[in-house]
Amino acid sequence: MPGTKEELFELLVESSTDFGIFTMDPGGSITSWNSGAERLFGYSEPEIIGRSADAIFTPEDRAEGVPRREREVARRDGRAADERWHQRKDASRFWASGVLMRLKGNGGFAKIARDRTDQHLAGERLRESEQRFRLLATSIPQLVFLTKPNGERTWPSPQWISFTGLGFDQSLGLNWLEAIHPDDRETTQKAWDDARSNGEYYVEHRIKRHAQGDYLWHQTRAKPLEGARSLDSDWVGTMTDIDDLRGLQSRQQVLTAELQHRTRNLLSVVQAIANQTLRSSISLASFKTQFASRLRAISRVQSLLAQVEDHVVDLRDLVAAELAAHSEADLTSEKIRVNGPPVSLPATAAQALALALHELATNAVKYGALSQPGGKLDVRWEVKDRKPTSEVALKWQEAGISIAKAPERKGYGRELIERALPYQLNAKTELEFTADGVRCEIIVPVSAEPTHG
Amino acid sequence: MDNELKGRRFLVVEDEYLIAADLAAYLEGLGIEVVGPASSVKEALTILKSDQGTIDGAVLDINLQNHRVYPVADLLRSRGVPFVFTTGYDATVVPNCYADVPRCDKPVDEHRLVRCLREATHHLET
Repeated sequence: MPGTKEELFELLVESSTDFGIFTMDPGGSITSWNSGAERLFGYSEPEIIGRSADAIFTPEDRAEGVPRREREVARRDGRAADERWHQRKDASRFWASGVLMRLKGNGGFAKIARDRTDQHLAGERLRESEQRFRLLATSIPQLVFLTKPNGERTWPSPQWISFTGLGFDQSLGLNWLEAIHPDDRETTQKAWDDARSNGEYYVEHRIKRHAQGDYLWHQTRAKPLEGARSLDSDWVGTMTDIDDLRGLQSRQQVLTAELQHRTRNLLSVVQAIANQTLRSSISLASFKTQFASRLRAISRVQSLLAQVEDHVVDLRDLVAAELAAHSEADLTSEKIRVNGPPVSLPATAAQALALALHELATNAVKYGALSQPGGKLDVRWEVKDRKPTSEVALKWQEAGISIAKAPERKGYGRELIERALPYQLNAKTELEFTADGVRCEIIVPVSAEPTHG
Repeated sequence: MDNELKGRRFLVVEDEYLIAADLAAYLEGLGIEVVGPASSVKEALTILKSDQGTIDGAVLDINLQNHRVYPVADLLRSRGVPFVFTTGYDATVVPNCYADVPRCDKPVDEHRLVRCLREATHHLET
């Protein structure tokens, strides 16, 4: 039935109000205009028929000759895509998605277009947000990745690639584990099992730095992307360099252990001094005096050690502190002379020497050079270079007094000088009680390398 | 006097003289014959190498002038000689392979030390 088909066609075109459909002659003048086109572009059929279809393009596109080029493409290829901003009669704009087709009969054209502004803007926003993500993910110092919830990577950031030296493809799936320290791979993978139930991935592991070939500690976290519809969607993760932090932590652990060791050792020394003093004391009263005096000597060397950072004490400070502790020993008087070059003593040597000097000073105040008006005390030392270690030779010499009977004492001072110093510091010592006071020589090897007890 | 420990020979390794002397005096008071004391790993190994298997046990300080006593511990272990550690360190600092070695924290509780020594040498009785 001729006519029916044409009628059907016209009906279809007229009722397609979502589509703007119109035809042009070969020169681009509009020859037909459906109601969809009127709704879309704002022109009524009577006012647009006979006008150039260029009117629906933006002024910029018109100036660039876009309408003409579109017709040329359609003439050559049969059709031309039309995806761009268009302009309505009231100069407002919308994003049209359409196609221009060549009509076989008269060499004219038909165009079908739709308003796709919302979709276009949504797409653009998505592109922008993706661009922002990429900019962020590729600029921050962390190594960033996208992954499936089972740990299979779908995207490694350029930082990861340059840090590990693994290529993009070498980092996909589970291949990235290649850059993890072999000892950490199991925990790294196990953490993915926990991640699904926790909703978060967390692990600390070592990652190989390609440039230096060493491993650096990293903290790796990952979470499902925001707005993810299910747990199976992509997760995003970061790997942060915590190597310095781990280094500090383990250094702190070592320091804490050393501090504990030193404190307990010191308490043991105090306990030993208490036992020893108790054995040689005739009464609790004399124990109290002697023990307190020895405790103060230890306390003095401890405060000297606390004042320096490297646990090294200068011998002069040690001698001066010990003598100054006795009010009878006036360092500015003619009675006492202290002379020697700077010598650094490690903590153990300082403590052992301080205790020995304390016994010498106590003895001098009680019975020796500092107990009589004419007495003189001379403390001097020199450093002798010996290979492989140097030696400090210290001389304690009293004079100008007269002691009726030289005491042949088996006292604590003698034990410290003749036994403790050789035992502990490999020192060579000589101690002599003469009629005009004590003479003592202590030779201690000092290594260039500080030792800690 | 402690009958189980009396007459036994014990090596004492401790770098701090005052502690070593105090410990030796205490052990001697129990009737123990003290070998050493040694203040370094080197000295302790020298004593052990010249010993003809007469040492019944040892008391070892872990840190000796910044060296660890473990070479001495290993030699004692290879000879089946029991020993105890005295240390200012926390248990976590001692390597796992010595986890079964009795430890007396410093300052040493003398009763605990005696208990440890008795346990360590118990199998020598049979």
